[in-house]
Amino acid sequence: MANNENPNRDLTPMENLERGKEKRGMGIKTRRRISNTIAYVVLILISIIWIAPFVFLIFQSLEVSSTGWSAHVIPKAWGFDNYIYLFSAEANFNRWYFNTFVIALFSCIGQTLMQIMMAYVLSRFRFKLRKPLMNFMLILGMFPGFLTMIILYNVLKDLGLTQANAVPGLILVSIASSGMGYYVIKGFFDTVSKSLDEAALIDGATRGQVFVKVILPLTKPIVIYTILTAFMAPWGDFIFASYIAFGSSQGYNVAVGLYQWLTVEQLPYHYTHFCSGGVVVSVPVITLFLMLQRYYVEGVTGGAVKG
Amino acid sequence: MATVVLKNVKKIYPGSTEPAVHDFNLSIADKEFIVFVGPSGCGKSTTLRMVAGLEDISEGTVEIDGEVVNDLQPKDRGISMVFQNYALYPHLTVYENMAFPLRLLRNPKMSNDEIYERVTNAAKILGITQYLTRKPKNLSGGQRQRVAIGRAMVRDSKVFLMDEPLSNLDAKLRNQMRAEIILLRQRIQTTFIYVTHDQTEAMTLGDRIVIMKDGFIMQVGSPTEVFDRPGNLFVAEFIGAPKMNTFMAKLVKDEKDYHVECFGEKIPVTGEKARELSEKGIGTQTIVLGIRPEHMVFSEEPKPGYIPVEVVVNEMMGSEVHLHVTTPEVPEGAYDTLTEAEARSRDFADEQLLLPGGKKELIIRIQTINLTDKQRAEFVPGKKLYLSAESRVMHFFNYQKGKLKTNLLYGPGAEAEASLAN
Amino acid sequence: MASAMSQYELLRYGKAKRFGYKFVQFFKSLPRRLLNLLIKLGIIIKNLVFGIGRFCKDVVMTFVRGTWKTRLTYVVMGFGNLAHKQFLRGLLFLAFEAAFIFYMIFAGGYWLSQLPTLGTVKVHTETQIVAGKEVPTTVYGDNSFKILLYGVLTIFFIVALVFTWWLSVKQSRTLDQIDEDKKKIATDKDDLRGLVDANFHRTMLALPLVGMVVFTVIPIIFMILVAFTNFDLNHNPPAGLFTWVGWDNFGQLFTWGGSKFSATFGEILVWTLIWAFFATFTNYFLGMLVALLINKKGIKFKKGWRTILVLTVTIPQFISLLYISKMFGEQGIINKTLSDWGWISSPIYFWKDPTLAKITVIIINIWIGIPYLMLMVTGILMNIPADLYESAKIDGASPLQQYMKITLPYMLFVTGPYLLTSFTGNMNNFNVIYLLTGGGPTNVRLYNSAGQTNLLITWLYATTVSDNQYNLAAVIGIMVFIVVALISMIVYNLLPSNRNEEDLA
Repeated sequence: MANNENPNRDLTPMENLERGKEKRGMGIKTRRRISNTIAYVVLILISIIWIAPFVFLIFQSLEVSSTGWSAHVIPKAWGFDNYIYLFSAEANFNRWYFNTFVIALFSCIGQTLMQIMMAYVLSRFRFKLRKPLMNFMLILGMFPGFLTMIILYNVLKDLGLTQANAVPGLILVSIASSGMGYYVIKGFFDTVSKSLDEAALIDGATRGQVFVKVILPLTKPIVIYTILTAFMAPWGDFIFASYIAFGSSQGYNVAVGLYQWLTVEQLPYHYTHFCSGGVVVSVPVITLFLMLQRYYVEGVTGGAVKG
Repeated sequence: MATVVLKNVKKIYPGSTEPAVHDFNLSIADKEFIVFVGPSGCGKSTTLRMVAGLEDISEGTVEIDGEVVNDLQPKDRGISMVFQNYALYPHLTVYENMAFPLRLLRNPKMSNDEIYERVTNAAKILGITQYLTRKPKNLSGGQRQRVAIGRAMVRDSKVFLMDEPLSNLDAKLRNQMRAEIILLRQRIQTTFIYVTHDQTEAMTLGDRIVIMKDGFIMQVGSPTEVFDRPGNLFVAEFIGAPKMNTFMAKLVKDEKDYHVECFGEKIPVTGEKARELSEKGIGTQTIVLGIRPEHMVFSEEPKPGYIPVEVVVNEMMGSEVHLHVTTPEVPEGAYDTLTEAEARSRDFADEQLLLPGGKKELIIRIQTINLTDKQRAEFVPGKKLYLSAESRVMHFFNYQKGKLKTNLLYGPGAEAEASLAN
Repeated sequence: MASAMSQYELLRYGKAKRFGYKFVQFFKSLPRRLLNLLIKLGIIIKNLVFGIGRFCKDVVMTFVRGTWKTRLTYVVMGFGNLAHKQFLRGLLFLAFEAAFIFYMIFAGGYWLSQLPTLGTVKVHTETQIVAGKEVPTTVYGDNSFKILLYGVLTIFFIVALVFTWWLSVKQSRTLDQIDEDKKKIATDKDDLRGLVDANFHRTMLALPLVGMVVFTVIPIIFMILVAFTNFDLNHNPPAGLFTWVGWDNFGQLFTWGGSKFSATFGEILVWTLIWAFFATFTNYFLGMLVALLINKKGIKFKKGWRTILVLTVTIPQFISLLYISKMFGEQGIINKTLSDWGWISSPIYFWKDPTLAKITVIIINIWIGIPYLMLMVTGILMNIPADLYESAKIDGASPLQQYMKITLPYMLFVTGPYLLTSFTGNMNNFNVIYLLTGGGPTNVRLYNSAGQTNLLITWLYATTVSDNQYNLAAVIGIMVFIVVALISMIVYNLLPSNRNEEDLA
């Protein structure tokens, strides 16, 4: 954009800059205006593409349809029928919603604790088995997690934690090996200067006190990020939940429950119900997200750079 | 209020074979201010951290106040420490930072009143009372440093450790804080161990200085000792700025007196120095000669015993002038006491001593007040000068290939002697 | 190129030649690297053998030289600790030993003895005499699943016992030594205090590690073992028995041309790699483009644009993906609207045509991935030092050149590891494929009529859940691991940003 005709070849960089200024003079403003206009048009297009499906979702959830199927963007008849059905005793949606909420609550507490403990130790302590342990976890992570499902299902079944009792089972499974996902938090811990730990040790703190009084307060953003992502995950968890709660509507979470409504047999009757269900599920997650957006952004960027 | 004794302390980091600290022996008296100084990687910080309990001690023992502390946690050693990067807790206010060690005390627990008393008292001494409610990020470097010192002060610790506390400050602030540390030291009478890479800090602060290199102690002594009687070439070049001029020369014993031959000139060695040399029975040999820049004398006219040199750079420092000059070439056969192979060895070239045919850059430091206006104008690159030095300011180091070059007269010092064995 | 050029000599060549040189060098060095790897392996094996030898010698010597306290500890674990008044440790050791003996007698022995056969007694009918009458009753035989599971657990238990036993002996030895030196022995109180101080890391690791071993390590070992059995629909406990079959399942995979299974595996693997490549790089570059657009000088409401995009990340994927999958269905909004507008006469079969389905999946994945990438890239863009751009401007670089010479290399350097994890993550991206296409469209040509947009991971799911072929699922799982591990190893070795973790602090 700057030097299209290139008579400036033999000039020194400084002269080049001067010439560029003269030549552009007023052109620079117009050019920026044009390019900005194009940028705005593209951005608006992008926004429409990204928002549209959700607008459709909301519209279709508000459609009163005798069959439960809809293929219109703008509903023929508006109404809250789908939502009323959703919370009626017939639908069992309340149960799924409650299940998911319980799972999300417990697993976000449990996962955060496990990951923080693991990350803190691996970031702060140097012991003989540290590197082997990290490599071991890296290798374990390369196995598809799904592989373990068959056996975990059988074990949980023996313990009576499947089907209708799937909720505690799911919580247990989601917490148990979550320590392996320590990377992002460790990356954050690594940026906290080690001399803070040392200063605290000399000031008379035990290792435990160093963790509680110095490291934890300093890592609030990443802790909130972890809680946030751990809380959001169960709302979309499908693969494991469907396997463990298989066949018992009492044990479904929202993902499994709503998915049932979209199978070939159910689809014609429950499509609009699914839409309203989707809206209801999204609301708390989005609200939480908007409140804690700052931490989320920090976590995403930090995770990528340090991961 | 305690002695610190290090006996045969050794540090080998896991995964490395070469020790970071070799066989460190030192006895620090009560209320002494000791400074560890040396280039980076010499093991000074590692040694300090072993005293603090932040690094494991691979071999040997550290005693504080007569008790072996090897297996004690840092908090149980009765020490406080100031870190290079201050290590203030960013989430706590200055007051809470300073109160932190006090709040952790158990048996007996300290009351809030007493904590307040102590913190404000320390703050008053350090002049940071008005910042007590601020967070560290809102303070300047100097203020942060004071808070760090304050945090170390509030506890009655037996030993006060400081790990390069001034190196993150700018030059002016560093000078100011240095003076304040001297005052502080007079106020809190306790044992200090201070680590720095800056020889000026070491000279101004220390009762005794421990000069280290590659994990070995090179010399231990008072500032005057290490300056006047450097035990070896390393200490000689490390202490003093600009650093001592050192070059190869031949020490020749005449019938009674001595002289040195360098760059084709003969400079006589007389008086006290000559007497000391002959008492030690030192004969003709190749040596490394050291003369501090401020001890050089110059003449504008050729004189016997004066080396002809040419000015290359003139640094006007204000109160003094630093002249960088080049010597003439070293004549062939200058080191006839060495074999040809020895003289041309790698070691020779590496240490920038001098091969025959080579030149050397020297520095002379002259008080500006001693120069006439004419001289000041004339001492520009290209100007010819003639240099010499009195024998009482000369330092003689023996030249041994690949070995520590120890002082011919005063020996290596007991500490370096041990390391020489390695 | 006879000998390796020095780094400096390389500088005089153009970019292409330099890259070519490095490329050639990399492959030239492969044999050497392989050799090094073998040597390393050899050393590890040697160390292992010697280690075991040393261990045995140590065991004997400790017994010979030890005090009677230590000798007794060989039989009664924890005795050494008890004798030196470390009651807490001593009792824990003792309890562990007791639990082990109890377990082995009442359960472990049985599971271990069944492990070689995985059970021999099938479900059968027996005539029992109830109240004087002969009644046929079903009797459950051995349960292969449980035998394998508890067999593995028992072996873990034995290994754990050997470790703790030796730990107990060593502690006793150390305590004797301390006693001899007249030094202070840590009391129970010291031990407890150590849990939050010197040994804090052990305390903190305990729970996560136990969770990991029980819920990941043991299941994975179990599944690896399943790959060597015939555990499938026809051999499904408790009704059926399964048993060891050696490498048969892997044999199925590697009989080229012969087996439907191997052909299907090959096809799905290729698509998985294609998918992972496109999913990773389309997202990466388009995401970066959007981020640059939003961060362009003079664009207002930067935060607003960002929030609009990011909102879509927060909505649970199963809702957005399922909804979009239906949008693109034959009766869905897209087809309906297009035909209403008269643009098409018959619906477009987005999910029925394999090629179209694959393209649609990749495009929808862009929609899913861009916001996330945009967020990440924005963060990194802000970290690029502004003076880099200023100096580039003074040197006369155009915006495009600035992007190619500064932004892109910086991004690639910083996000290198991310790209790798993102690639392997996409290989295992269950949600997008399963919720959009369910793996379809299916094809009878493939093994068990597998769907054509299946990734290995969704195929694995189908093989397990619908087909109940656990043994083949285990084989697929192991292959996924091998592929991921290989790619990671190669890429990781080529990455420029292999930074030292200590540098970050």
